[in-house]
Amino acid sequence: MFGKSIKGVAVKEILAEERLEIQHEYYASIAVDRSTKEALILFTEEGGVDIEILARERPSAIRRASLPLLMTDIPPFMLRDLLGEAPREAGKVLQSLYTAFCRKDAILAEINPLVATPAGLFAADAKLIVDDNALRRQGISCNRDMTDREREAERHGFSYVELEGNIGVIGNGAGLTMATLDLISFFKGKAANFLDVGGGADQERVMHAVRLVAGVPSVKVIIVNLLGGITRCDEVARGIIAAGISQEVFVRLAGTNEEEGRSLLSERGYRMVGSMEEAVRAAVEAVR
Amino acid sequence: MIYADKSAGIIVAGATGRQGAFHIALMNEYAKTVGGAGVVAGVTPGKGGQVASGVPVYNSIREAMADIDAEVSVIFVPAAAAGDSIMESANAGLSLAVTITEHIPVHDTMNAIAFAKLHDCAVIGPNGPGLLSPGEIKLGIMPSHLFSRGNIGVISRSGTLTYEIVDELTKAGLGQSTVVGIGGDPVVGQTFSDVLRRFEEDQQTKAVVLIGEVGGALEEEGARSTNLPIAAYIAGISAPPEKRMGHAGAIIEGGEGDARSKIERLQKMEVPVASRPSEIPGIIKKIL
Repeated sequence: MFGKSIKGVAVKEILAEERLEIQHEYYASIAVDRSTKEALILFTEEGGVDIEILARERPSAIRRASLPLLMTDIPPFMLRDLLGEAPREAGKVLQSLYTAFCRKDAILAEINPLVATPAGLFAADAKLIVDDNALRRQGISCNRDMTDREREAERHGFSYVELEGNIGVIGNGAGLTMATLDLISFFKGKAANFLDVGGGADQERVMHAVRLVAGVPSVKVIIVNLLGGITRCDEVARGIIAAGISQEVFVRLAGTNEEEGRSLLSERGYRMVGSMEEAVRAAVEAVR
Repeated sequence: MIYADKSAGIIVAGATGRQGAFHIALMNEYAKTVGGAGVVAGVTPGKGGQVASGVPVYNSIREAMADIDAEVSVIFVPAAAAGDSIMESANAGLSLAVTITEHIPVHDTMNAIAFAKLHDCAVIGPNGPGLLSPGEIKLGIMPSHLFSRGNIGVISRSGTLTYEIVDELTKAGLGQSTVVGIGGDPVVGQTFSDVLRRFEEDQQTKAVVLIGEVGGALEEEGARSTNLPIAAYIAGISAPPEKRMGHAGAIIEGGEGDARSKIERLQKMEVPVASRPSEIPGIIKKIL
């Protein structure tokens, strides 16, 4: 298996485990539920399967319960409802899983499969996903597979996602930046990236953002779409100018000191556009 | 106007930080132009007796409430303590806690929302720009110069994209009743359904714009729950799966929450969905 690649990830380590005499497989998970804002507990006596497929094809096979996190334990009635014919011991496993979920700031704690053997229950495979916003207090330092550019974006506090097109995108705010990408595809162009500089973009941050995106080899033009109350347009303009990149930049600016920002950029020959739609149209036209 | 009118006194939690102090000034500037009560107190533990942007600072909300009349709080407290600040607001008897803070651990958010609910305190956010009812009250960080008073309600998971769409509405002569940024986190207090319920009881609101994005199914849940005429825009049609698009909540997980299927479900409920932000005013004029 070494040297092979599974779903695009190279095999670096192999975990060998003792063989279990499996009599039955269960599935247990606890996840953050956006809709109820509570912990969603799932249990099924048909474990070892792809839970998403089971949920689609036979949703009634999965028992579910919703528990406010203010509760320290799963109440007995809820455990009985969840377990059905499964052994009592599985209730203890669920209880421990809930404790782990709460203590570890998990957004998902899953055992699949939970197996019954002559020697009792075993968690044969498990997954714990910890909330990104809780990594620090959990004392977890993250070691993600990242490209150099992704690492640099993280250092500057940008939200950055690499895509496959040739139009670089810098925006402030996740929604506005996403909408800019969508407009690019609406006008049949292809975005090279998603970069949200966040709130209060100053000269320094804008400069780093522009340089970062300009450094992507496929990027032919860049759209800068910044809108907001606290964003100072003169600072943004100085940042774009300081970046000193070779690609053409289409700038849409709205906010404080807008006029000053616009004239700084126009003086140096940057293309100013009045709306985000205009910016996108011009950029798509330019790469055609 | 929903949630609060101009007579509501505002407490700002996290008043002595850069953000807090800056936005106290802007909120009070707005309150002055509409003749509202504005920010009457700031709260930062250990900084009682100081003054932030002309407003007295107290050590706790309870202490502030002994001196002044307040109904709502706006929270700028750093992420690690923001959940606590929501609970403090609820416990002191405030009816609304508008939470601007980003990166709050999701378990903290869930616990704080559950606690606030026990005290009949509504939570808006976290990780949002707050709300603004033109001519009445501004709670948060929205740039008020883009807004105008009218009959259109706006509910959004985004910040800057909301401003973009509000700007389009205002330019098209469509004023707003209340604009609510519900926040970009996976778990937020007031959801689309909750805000829509308030709009239904509001004489002023005749139609509502829903601004959603990839991740979860709260947009559809909201649309299903209301009889008000609504128009929607969903950001992230070009978002790749499993990549977080800036907002903690903006992620397509397990094949769920992608923009295309969201849009299809909305259209099945006969909700018109704009394919770009500039189409929204036209759609609204049609459904009014």
